[in-house]
Amino acid sequence: MTRYVINRIFLLIPIALGVTFIVFTIMNLTPSDPGRIMLGEMADREAVSQLNRELGFYDPFFVRYFNYVAGAVRLDFGVSFRSGRPVFEEIFLRFPNTLNLAFLAVICAAAVGIPLGILSAVKQYSHIDTVSRIISMLFAAAPVFFLGMMGIYIFSLRLQWLPAFGASTWEHFILPVITLSIPSAASLLRLTRSTMLETINQDYIRTARAKGASERRVIFRHALKNALLPIITILGMNFGFLLGGAILIENVFSIPGLGQLLVNSIRLMDIPQVMASTLFLALLFTLIILVVDLMYSFIDPRIKAKYSKIK
Amino acid sequence: MPRELMSIENLSVIYKTDLETVRAVNGVSITLEKGKTLGIVGETGAGKTTLALSLMRLLPKATGRITEGRVILQDQDLYKLSEIEMKSIRGNLVSMIFQDPMTSLNPIMKVGDQIAESLILHNDEKLTKEQISARVEETLTLVGIPPFRKNDYPHQFSGGMKQRVVIAIALACKPQLLIADEPTTALDVTIQAQVLSMMADLKEALDTAMIMITHDIGIVAQICDYVAVMYAGEIIEYGTIQDIFDHSREHHPYTVGLFGSIPDLKHKTRRLSPIDGLMPDPTMLPRGCAFSPRCPKCEPLCKDQKPPDRDNNGHRIRCYFVGGAQ
Repeated sequence: MTRYVINRIFLLIPIALGVTFIVFTIMNLTPSDPGRIMLGEMADREAVSQLNRELGFYDPFFVRYFNYVAGAVRLDFGVSFRSGRPVFEEIFLRFPNTLNLAFLAVICAAAVGIPLGILSAVKQYSHIDTVSRIISMLFAAAPVFFLGMMGIYIFSLRLQWLPAFGASTWEHFILPVITLSIPSAASLLRLTRSTMLETINQDYIRTARAKGASERRVIFRHALKNALLPIITILGMNFGFLLGGAILIENVFSIPGLGQLLVNSIRLMDIPQVMASTLFLALLFTLIILVVDLMYSFIDPRIKAKYSKIK
Repeated sequence: MPRELMSIENLSVIYKTDLETVRAVNGVSITLEKGKTLGIVGETGAGKTTLALSLMRLLPKATGRITEGRVILQDQDLYKLSEIEMKSIRGNLVSMIFQDPMTSLNPIMKVGDQIAESLILHNDEKLTKEQISARVEETLTLVGIPPFRKNDYPHQFSGGMKQRVVIAIALACKPQLLIADEPTTALDVTIQAQVLSMMADLKEALDTAMIMITHDIGIVAQICDYVAVMYAGEIIEYGTIQDIFDHSREHHPYTVGLFGSIPDLKHKTRRLSPIDGLMPDPTMLPRGCAFSPRCPKCEPLCKDQKPPDRDNNGHRIRCYFVGGAQ
């Protein structure tokens, strides 16, 4: 088991190399002028190319990539062209906002989606099932920025219940969290419903019923635990996507988070910042998936057995 | 004096969907005595499993309906009980062994816990945790699995062992009636023999009555006291094992055909003689005798009206032309 975890952590290295290479290539295919960005529009042309030379911007592509990787190995990811501060300082300044947002949104999505999905499956073809299926289909298809703008219009402008912009108090988080959780809750509901339905028709559920187990016991003890694997997978992936994918919501609600930082950095061609932010998100995502995989083995003894065999 | 345990009276079950109505069981009546074994034989699709599930009230909720008849178990009408009362009977008085041991066990629960579950659910004797765990070990030993394996998961067992665990679950509460739905179909022949002889021993030891559903006539001959031959949801012949296996007696033409399809080791035969045709579509059963389209003795009367049961000292045959007291 430990061995498996260590193997998986070593796998982060090729992932990191792959991500940095792809992002580095894309960023270098687009025209940019770091010296100009750092010194501003009014700066002297001579000073700009002097700075570019110091940054190694005129070196060949592979030399620059190698220098970047060599720096990264020493944990030197460079400074932001825009602010002049170390890139990870910028990231950690904004990351708590994004983490809050994504974490709360996943909790909300799970709290709504899973119970309704179970209910929908247990009462298949009932009115509850039909209504929740239709609503979840609508919300799963609605784009988040649309839901966000509607939320701002109704609750901030019309009713004036909640603030629309910023991240200074907890009240600022209510609308973005709800908006962000709606599509995940909807897709989670649909997934929970279908996996539960599949599980309920298994033979071992009939065995449990034949033992004289109550319907509640059959659903929660026997069916839900078996249906949990795909649900946890999607939950973990949603969390990962929300960490990086809160970009739209952070922009709609003007929350200074990682997504916003990334978008602004791309717009300004702030290469070190873009590189570090994408790398950070990619590694975070991989680690979340690792945690999900490890949770499998706590739920399903068959998977645990597989991990132990690697020894 | 026969000690009656269960009687099924004129039971009919349908599966109803928007598209069609499947008449799976049509007017079945049987009684079963304590400690005896009844074999139900018939082709695939004859309604054997449906009959078993309806005895447990475990038919699929969305489609399965019991349209008429009663099932009396120890003076209780099972179809008049509430769901809660029925729950206390399932797994306790009546338990069931399912066809496929590979899928009948919960893959993420220890086998010991799965056996203990029925004991916990029907804990009338107020057993303590230690006593339950002792009973689990006792039951495992009974079915020939070393008790220390109770902490293993189903994937760590072979098919035959899994079926033993399924049997252990069914026997944990020492039921009065055990319904075995093709318990050996998914097993290979050597394991089949082991499981069957084990079941026969256990039945003896616990004085449990058993309904053995199978399409293997060999199994019936091995362990049953009574035999019911099922065809298109009806019992077309019923009798003791001697009645059915005595070839000098009269039999329903279907039973004759069924035995004709078994290779005879004593005589050299070039080909088996199967029954021509297929079982009727249960969504449109013939008006008269269900077997009439395939029957070699069919007369116009058979196609028109359902034949009555003819009874000869308990050997019942549902046919116009054979059986009955001579």
